[in-house]
Amino acid sequence: MSVKYIPVQWNPNKWKYNAVMLASIFAYLWIFLEWVPGQLDHEGRINGAIHNARAFGSCAFFMLTVILCIGPLARLDQRFLPLLYNRRHFGVMTSAVALTHAFYIMGWYYAFSPSNQYEALLFSNTSYGQLVGFPFEVFGIFALLCLLILAATSHDFWLKFLTPRIWKGIHYLVYAAYISVIAHLSFGILQDQQDNVFPALFIASGLGVSALHIMAAIKERAFDKGAIDTDSSKWVRVCEVTDMEDGFAKVTKLGNKERVAVYLMEGKLSAISNACAHQNGPLGEGKIIDCLVTCPWHGFQYDVRDGRSPAPFTEMVPTYKLKLKGGTVYVDPDANPPGTYVEPIEVPTKKETS
Amino acid sequence: MTAAFLVSATQAWLLIGSLIGIVFVAVGIDRIDEDARGAYAFRPLLLLGCALIWPLVLWRWWILESGRDKWPNRHKPHRAAHFTVAIVFAISIPAIIIAGLTVKQVWPESFVPQKLSNHEIEHRDADPV
Repeated sequence: MSVKYIPVQWNPNKWKYNAVMLASIFAYLWIFLEWVPGQLDHEGRINGAIHNARAFGSCAFFMLTVILCIGPLARLDQRFLPLLYNRRHFGVMTSAVALTHAFYIMGWYYAFSPSNQYEALLFSNTSYGQLVGFPFEVFGIFALLCLLILAATSHDFWLKFLTPRIWKGIHYLVYAAYISVIAHLSFGILQDQQDNVFPALFIASGLGVSALHIMAAIKERAFDKGAIDTDSSKWVRVCEVTDMEDGFAKVTKLGNKERVAVYLMEGKLSAISNACAHQNGPLGEGKIIDCLVTCPWHGFQYDVRDGRSPAPFTEMVPTYKLKLKGGTVYVDPDANPPGTYVEPIEVPTKKETS
Repeated sequence: MTAAFLVSATQAWLLIGSLIGIVFVAVGIDRIDEDARGAYAFRPLLLLGCALIWPLVLWRWWILESGRDKWPNRHKPHRAAHFTVAIVFAISIPAIIIAGLTVKQVWPESFVPQKLSNHEIEHRDADPV
């Protein structure tokens, strides 16, 4: 959260997350390096440098695959949200593993060139006009560049400095990186692979990521396709108050594509932006405890009455005015500046309404 | 020629970015972010990011220094673009894999290599050490 920046905000959950992640990486590399050398051989045995490069390269690919599955899985089923919590550390580690792959490649295939090895990487194959023998290295270079940008801008400072919107825009590069990795492998190792295990895992991984993104996109689309119901003064209908559950929110969309989270808390209604100030996580999916809603992505908290994080934290989100007409909840589509207090609206009890 | 230019351009980009990063991390960051004042241990972590995306760093630095930052922009997720990005992404993956499989050259198991010419490959011995 805010206050003073530190290099890494460690907590027990992050230690556990990273321990599992590192153990999995070491296990994968150990299996790859110790158990499968025979399957990788061609006419002759491959040497240690190539073996290491393939171990780290394939490890980076599977790590990136897992990273790209976490987002849609969390949108499809909230039980996957804990995987999202420390995904940035996962991403930084993926960049490090991919960089190690690149070092092994440079240290073997281009180490003995009389030219500068980085120039040799670029001019050793220039068959850009044909698919057969296409210089797949260029896809790897682009993917590595994307991963390095993502890792280098992963600190929370960048979120605040760039704004979540620009930061997210930059981090869309993960999609470009994955497509580039798919091309790197499709026109690289897949052309040469002689056993069927890696191609099968590679194709299954790619198709799995593809299917999950389509499923999550369709689910989001169904929400966005719903009509916006307004009254004569342009206030947007949210729901019937009887449909609300104490401690939870109803999320509705506004005409400007924003989403607002309307909470029922101890018999009173409050509304804040559905986008967390940290990474624009879905605040409406969080539960209220002691007037504070907790973002399901990274645990940032806000008072739903004024949109402010509890002291000493300083994050704020916009608030919205509400009104009750009959038993129907309406929200003013014009947001208040972040941190603006709005008096909660009391919901009449059944006895009062009858 | 092109490769040499690309390598030199990359080196120049990173050098400029590193210099901007050092100035930003040493001086600029205190001027635009109160949470950075008195916090120094995290600053080296920002240098690589500054070296890579320095034009964006300069632009945001100027926006914040000149008071042009607008609060509504901080609360607008890329929701409209997400569906398109997800679909293009999801379609691209199988398309690229299929393209890769299509151009894959598989020799029949019965294929026996044939010598097409009698041209002898010239072997050069390594230079004597």
